[in-house]
Amino acid sequence: MVSYEENPARIERADIVVGIPSYNEAKTIVHPTTQAGLGLLQYFGDKTSVIINCDNDSTDGTKEAFLNAPTEVPKIYLSTPPSVKGKGSNLLNLFAKVDALGAQACIIIDADLKSITPRWVRNLGEPLFMDFGFVAPLYVRHKYDGTITNNIAYPLLRALYGRRVRQPIGGDFGISAELVRIYLKQEFWSDEITQFGIDIWMTTQAIAHAIPICQAYMGRPKIHRPKDPGTDLGPMFSQVVGTIFGMMAPCEPYWKEVKWSRPTAVFGFGLGEVEEPPAMEMDAQGLYRRFTEGINKFQGVWKRVLASEYYDKLMEVAQMEWEHFDFPPLLWAHILFDYAVGYHDLDGEREALLASLIPIYFGKVYSFVLRAERMSVQEAEEYIEEQCMSFEETRPYLDARWGKRGKKDAQDSGGR
Amino acid sequence: MPKILVVDDEEPIRLLYREELTEEGYEVATAAGGQGLLERIERERPDLIILDIKLADADGLDLLQEIRTRYYDLPVILCSAYEVFKRDVKAIAADAYVVKSSDLTPLKRAVHRALEGRGATQGEGEG
Repeated sequence: MVSYEENPARIERADIVVGIPSYNEAKTIVHPTTQAGLGLLQYFGDKTSVIINCDNDSTDGTKEAFLNAPTEVPKIYLSTPPSVKGKGSNLLNLFAKVDALGAQACIIIDADLKSITPRWVRNLGEPLFMDFGFVAPLYVRHKYDGTITNNIAYPLLRALYGRRVRQPIGGDFGISAELVRIYLKQEFWSDEITQFGIDIWMTTQAIAHAIPICQAYMGRPKIHRPKDPGTDLGPMFSQVVGTIFGMMAPCEPYWKEVKWSRPTAVFGFGLGEVEEPPAMEMDAQGLYRRFTEGINKFQGVWKRVLASEYYDKLMEVAQMEWEHFDFPPLLWAHILFDYAVGYHDLDGEREALLASLIPIYFGKVYSFVLRAERMSVQEAEEYIEEQCMSFEETRPYLDARWGKRGKKDAQDSGGR
Repeated sequence: MPKILVVDDEEPIRLLYREELTEEGYEVATAAGGQGLLERIERERPDLIILDIKLADADGLDLLQEIRTRYYDLPVILCSAYEVFKRDVKAIAADAYVVKSSDLTPLKRAVHRALEGRGATQGEGEG
């Protein structure tokens, strides 16, 4: 798919690649590029390496900024055709190049990353030379940061595929050559995956192919462009959630066998003092407002998708006053599983289905914000772990509903 | 019959866990510390490890890292009299964290789940 390549140093082989996907990141790409170069020299000096910018034909000078960034490590610029956009498309180009270079390891970092240090390259790369095939990051995060991860991606992936990857859509990963080849062979590839669905797709494929996974402790927050989930949801929600739901059918033979989740290895200690995440403001009232606005707009869809019991419970939650609002994790787990089944069954209505989930998600996040207001980061983390156990304990409900098209209540399914 | 290796430097704990878990239908071996533990795991191939954190000769959290790196899918349950170590990021690599108590129900439930989970998601190799 590559439509354009600049390879000034004519690199044809490399042991290790750092890939930086981008679209119009001229203002930010220099920092991660230079840090990656320093990291490769400092920690992988005995190996040949290259930094690759896989770009969506940016028009703001990203290519020039990248190629002119001061690094001793050589650089390659790749671009998709002008009409092809999306991080997934960029990474497909990267994987093909990694394979062509014969690289053993590929590290992916975001182009707007401000908090990266050379050590991140070490922590994401070194486990790949220790027989791990997939390295996910462990950032220090504010309790309000990563709401899609905390409330959807982490608990769902853990309950479905049985592996506890805390940051499955972190954006910065380490991938072995073996896993790159697995990615290149996959046939299931949707529009969502070509965009922001790619991260959850990569993590899910790694788990579903039983690749040994390591989580690398970064010791610092991930600082990039800040997003307030009350205002900045954008298309990312539909692409990430759509990918999770969409992968359930092709990966069914794997997740149907999962009963309880298992841990991964962890790497990267001895960092000294851990940096605290910056303070983060939430538009809590905005979250509550978006939930209540969704009630009128989507009540009909909710009634169609949700089992009667959980629709009724959701309506009870909808009646709560904003000061005493509480959205139980067990209800949230049942709702997400009902939506997963609905996504599977209602093929032609998926976009509308996902749109109707968004207000419910806002309600869940608002509930968490209220509950976690006085919690420390550790206490919030324990709450998230308890929520994950609710999902795991609800798995029999999903297993009973899956594949019974149109039968969503107990009397239809013959009991849960 | 699944084999469990209990690693704890307190003999009363080793004896109690062996008695209770044997009644549950497991084959139970014990070790008093971390010295030679990896070699013993290699030799005896237990199905699950119950690992104390504050051992006389080793740090259980460091041992956990070594075990997880070498035996990726081997279930390890951390056991401690102290809840505080649950917040150590190294504890993430454990299947479960159980605070020691006279009631062994949480430990037994963790053992059952860890062995059930392993059967469903075991990787193709170890390490």
